[in-house]
Amino acid sequence: MTFDWSVIWTHRQALLEGAALTVGLTVLTMLLAVPGGIALALMRLSPNRLLQSASLGFVEFFRNLPLILVIYWAFYVMPMAFDVQFSPITTALVALVLNIAAYNAETFRAGINSIRKGQMEAALAMGMSRRQAMFKVVIPQAARRILPVIASTWISLFKDTSLVSVIAVGELAYTSMQIRAQTFRVLEMLTAMAAIYWLMGYPQAKLVDWIHRKYGVKE
Amino acid sequence: MDVDFSPIIENWRFFAGGLGVTVLLSVVSAVTSILSGLVIALLRLYGPRWLSRVLVFYVDTMRAIPILVVLVWIYFAFPLLAGVTFPPFWAALVGLTLHIAAYAAEVIRAGIESIRPGQTRAALALGMSRTQLLRKVLLPQATIRMLPAFGSILTIAIKDTAIATVIAVPELMHRAETVAGQSYRPVEVFTAVMVAYFAILFPVTRGIDRLYHRVAHLGRS
Repeated sequence: MTFDWSVIWTHRQALLEGAALTVGLTVLTMLLAVPGGIALALMRLSPNRLLQSASLGFVEFFRNLPLILVIYWAFYVMPMAFDVQFSPITTALVALVLNIAAYNAETFRAGINSIRKGQMEAALAMGMSRRQAMFKVVIPQAARRILPVIASTWISLFKDTSLVSVIAVGELAYTSMQIRAQTFRVLEMLTAMAAIYWLMGYPQAKLVDWIHRKYGVKE
Repeated sequence: MDVDFSPIIENWRFFAGGLGVTVLLSVVSAVTSILSGLVIALLRLYGPRWLSRVLVFYVDTMRAIPILVVLVWIYFAFPLLAGVTFPPFWAALVGLTLHIAAYAAEVIRAGIESIRPGQTRAALALGMSRTQLLRKVLLPQATIRMLPAFGSILTIAIKDTAIATVIAVPELMHRAETVAGQSYRPVEVFTAVMVAYFAILFPVTRGIDRLYHRVAHLGRS
């Protein structure tokens, strides 16, 4: 069996665009899923029963489903059930945000709960409103503890964007597999795909380790 | 919009078979992942320096590459290189194990390292061998502390088997795609399968939580 590695160089433009879309999807999803996660965590911690159970239901639902199924569901069911038409990229974004926001919500909730109750009580005793106490005292401290966990979620998200290739979003995995189908250079293209993911993912994994060492909570 | 769940009812045996494959593949790959993770963690902690470097590289590589890419590579590319083909189920088992074992190894290493070093010193001072120390002192305590993490490995395995649909493993997700395509009823099929996955995963996560709360005191030191 002969291999022809030049196919990778010939298609470098498409591969680069795919990689750019992978990064773009990761960044955009996280930008939307962080506020989403904060909102869900605050709902969960609010005194309102209805908000609490809505948040709990959402988080438990999406944490207990395979992401690939959520992607298919968003692609086939969402347009019919809610009578909307989205492009594949928007659909992918919706599915990823639903999933990651649920994980982030748990992270934020755990982070906020990890700040001792006395701090909230002290802030309230000093005449701060609940809102002020939350945003000026609790959240700034919790943020430091939350950062390493968000960094880990980031890595998972970066890898999970490959799943949206099943609904034909032209990110790195989809692009590589398309070129594979057109050129029949299976081994070369799949190896290139793995190598590009590795080149992008490995430094991120190391960066996450560094963030864990710097900010991780030690008991 | 009309709703018609008859394709699911008509094909219930087909779906039940898929569910069986999902459960079998996820349980087997969770077990193989935890066992290989244990070996990797022990070699990383007590093995020679060079081997530990190789294993760190392997673990970080698996953290960097998506499971989809690993599965597709093993199923489509590896046979071209090695001249042997795996049936989809076995390719999925190998791919899932390669990927999840890296994660399991990190969990197990952290679990073993969480036992205070004083215990290791005490055991060695009592004249225990390294093997005895591991088997009688470190692993029993570490295992209990790691129970919730083992539970999440099982849930990760269940969720990741759904990705094995891309290499045509006949598990639940793949069969859902087949029926959705043939019956033109994707809404009903994917909704039903969603309920099925939730019905498996939710009790698993809850059960692990319960179990852990019951035995957590045994892991204190």
